[in-house]
Amino acid sequence: MPLISLTVNNRAVQLDLDPETPLLWALRDHLNLVGTKFGCGGGFCGACTVHLDGVATRACSTPVGKIAGRRITTIEGLSANGDHPAQRAWAQIDVPQCGYCQAGQIMSCAALLARTPNPSENEIVAAMNGNICRCGTYVRIKDAVTLAASMRSSR
Amino acid sequence: MRSRRDVLTDAKHGVIDDQIGRTRRSFITVGLAATGGLLIAMRYQPVAAFPTDYIQIDPDDRVLIWSAQPEMGEGTRTSLPMLVAEELDAEWTKVRIDDAPLDRKYGGQGVGGSDAIRSDWDALRRIGATARACLIGAAAAQWNVPASECDTSAHVVRHPASGREARYGSLAARAATLSVPRDVPLKDPSRYRLIGTRVDGTDNHKVVTGQPLFGIDVRLPSMKFAAVAKCPVFNGKPVKIDATKARQVPGVRQIVEIAGLDNPTLLMPGVAVVADSTWAAFKGRDALIVQWDEGPYAAESNASLTEQFEKILAAPPATLHNSGRVDDALAAAAIVVDNTYSFPFASHATLEPCNCTADYRNGELWIRGPIQMPMSAQTTVARATGVDVGKVHVQATRIGGGFGRRLLSDYAAEAAVVAKAIGGPVMVIDNREGDLQHDYYRPAAMQRLRAGVDAGGTIIAWDHIIASCSRNVYRKDPRGPYSTETYGSYVGRVQSVEQLDADLQPTRIPNARLRYGNPLTGVATGAWRAPAHVVNAFTIETTIDELAARAKRSPVDLRLEILGETADVPKSQNDASPYDPARMRRVLLEVVERGGFGKSAPEGRARGLASHHTFGSYCAHVVEISIAPGTNGQKRVTIHKVVSVADVGQPVNLSMLEAQMQGGIIDGIGAAFYGEVPIERGRATSRNFGDYRLIRMREAPLAIDAHFIQSRLRPTGFGEPPLPPIAPAVANAIAALTGERIRMMPFIKLGYLLS
Repeated sequence: MPLISLTVNNRAVQLDLDPETPLLWALRDHLNLVGTKFGCGGGFCGACTVHLDGVATRACSTPVGKIAGRRITTIEGLSANGDHPAQRAWAQIDVPQCGYCQAGQIMSCAALLARTPNPSENEIVAAMNGNICRCGTYVRIKDAVTLAASMRSSR
Repeated sequence: MRSRRDVLTDAKHGVIDDQIGRTRRSFITVGLAATGGLLIAMRYQPVAAFPTDYIQIDPDDRVLIWSAQPEMGEGTRTSLPMLVAEELDAEWTKVRIDDAPLDRKYGGQGVGGSDAIRSDWDALRRIGATARACLIGAAAAQWNVPASECDTSAHVVRHPASGREARYGSLAARAATLSVPRDVPLKDPSRYRLIGTRVDGTDNHKVVTGQPLFGIDVRLPSMKFAAVAKCPVFNGKPVKIDATKARQVPGVRQIVEIAGLDNPTLLMPGVAVVADSTWAAFKGRDALIVQWDEGPYAAESNASLTEQFEKILAAPPATLHNSGRVDDALAAAAIVVDNTYSFPFASHATLEPCNCTADYRNGELWIRGPIQMPMSAQTTVARATGVDVGKVHVQATRIGGGFGRRLLSDYAAEAAVVAKAIGGPVMVIDNREGDLQHDYYRPAAMQRLRAGVDAGGTIIAWDHIIASCSRNVYRKDPRGPYSTETYGSYVGRVQSVEQLDADLQPTRIPNARLRYGNPLTGVATGAWRAPAHVVNAFTIETTIDELAARAKRSPVDLRLEILGETADVPKSQNDASPYDPARMRRVLLEVVERGGFGKSAPEGRARGLASHHTFGSYCAHVVEISIAPGTNGQKRVTIHKVVSVADVGQPVNLSMLEAQMQGGIIDGIGAAFYGEVPIERGRATSRNFGDYRLIRMREAPLAIDAHFIQSRLRPTGFGEPPLPPIAPAVANAIAALTGERIRMMPFIKLGYLLS
């Protein structure tokens, strides 16, 4: 099998994998980036959300063979010091309960803010509705997205 | 609620469920830490040979607190150390939290039944207070003044008379050499600086930066990954395994048969495919060809269960309580409601699928994973592998959601069996489909409740029949089948199974009967967040609402009338927070006031009310909804607002309590509208979150307004209490708006969706 080249968190990597392997498992089992979570494997829950060329993408349903040469950002690469506005807002609002879905939530939020710096409530819900939180932290997530937007605009 | 006695009985019968009794015969010791600081330990009798590390105070002022209880989102790793830090008078910013491994010296690890705060409230405050007294003692000796003249605040010991003060860190080494004061008094609650405030989650930064915290993140050198195929029909087992194709999947290394234990809550039989990666393990499992012995329940279905439930409702086999003359009272009642309810199996659907990592080296097993009950995981693993309990080492990671699923430790036993078979480290992990099809579900049930009021509108007759799959029967617990299905849920809203009959006395309903029966079924069942309470409270709270409407009375008044009086409630000796109707009355009245219940709602909206007592805490909600027509005649419910009041005794961490209120409400609503695992041909037909639908952001209430009663009473837990009253509050609001009474879950089957 030919090697598959990707850029992950600004680092060039080469994977010797079955091209059908979902990006999720390439990240978790082969690149040891376990921040991206496995929730459903079918694109229903968003726990595995990463950025593919800046766009929020479900890593569980993205075969690595289909994304050769492209740029991936995971929660580990979202910011240098864990200080992306979404990350700061999530901590400040005390969003996490179990915390398992939150990396995916934050990646969806970051992608939203990159294209819509000041989202309306409807835009927030539309962008975040694909991310399930089993603990039901939605009220705080909504507040955190709003806070993150205000942090970005005040920078 | 279950008592410590229940738990010990469980342990005796090898039934691993609910909370573990915690030894509390203990004394505190001090020692010198490796850092030159003070190590505060607790020695438990009779088992511990070593002091327990609980607090370490370093010369540089840093305080390390070990947290011995698992964290699954309920906030234990923050709120429990808060108890220590409060009494220590430590500055929270200088406190670091570390995980304690499973060790008998911690005197009992594992949380369940919303009991973390409730169980550790005394011990953790005591150890914090003793550590503070040690530091005072060191300062007093250094300054040659009486300890009684010294005080502390924010990491500093002071002697006001002389104006001297010393940082904790500077006193630590000296404190380690002094004798430990006994019976140190605890703080007066008026001096609390941490307890009762909002404190953010200890691990927030790690969570938001994606650091490895969860069971699924465990990585060991050269570890393998395995997925276990189980018989799709409940209680089946493998007969013949053809692994030819599975072995051809690149990365697949080995096939391991798991025999299972006689109790399926401990370990189910199956076939593990061991591979180099998770993906290869899943693909290998898909390629297995297994011939199954499907066992005696292969024809079971929703329809066959309903048939059994209906037979039980027609002729209930067990009468659990019978007071007054129920039949006569029903015949004499001015108005009688006669309602039949049905509830499906529901899945825990923890977002982190079941997984666990085990390593087998030199005859010892090292278990690391999302384990809620480290102690029962240890004994389950020992039973499943034949390895001596003393050679099974368990470390719990952060847990990606529990909701009752991880009270069982079957997934730890699977990992251990596979690790022992391959002689090395392995993570056993399930995918979503496997996790949904082999869960231990909330028991399906049907109930019938006949209740009547007299001409004055007072409830005089109550005849409740519960027909429910019994998780006690499923787990081979010799106690009554009813005990896991009725406890604490009934009108008396009181505590223990054994006292069921007595518990029903304090209700003001003069003629009351409770009967029970369980079907023969193979479906796996277990505790699901606020077990039994969620379904029973739905029946009780919607029936009270309906009676009130039919009698043209206030549902608040009707509830208040049957609450009873404090003095009438029998007090259980082993419950430090016995049920008190006066507390429920206050919660009800406050939620009615705050939620505007009984006042007119905005145009096109209606409000609903419900209340319930669970695990020592009192909770009531008022919801405000509107309904818009959807496609195909569906009705789209918008929940504009939920106003909630709870009495949890002394609130510990207000941020966590508010989060549990929000999360419990959202979980309870989602499960009520959508949660159903259908059974056909002896198997669960749910596949993934496409058909097992979970509530999303768009569907959540637009606002949740949570209030906690200011109280100095002993704190009780809040992981579960918000759930039972939320679904009936929504159903009562729907009835107020439309006149339609909802008597089944999931609501979506009646055309109700969330919007």
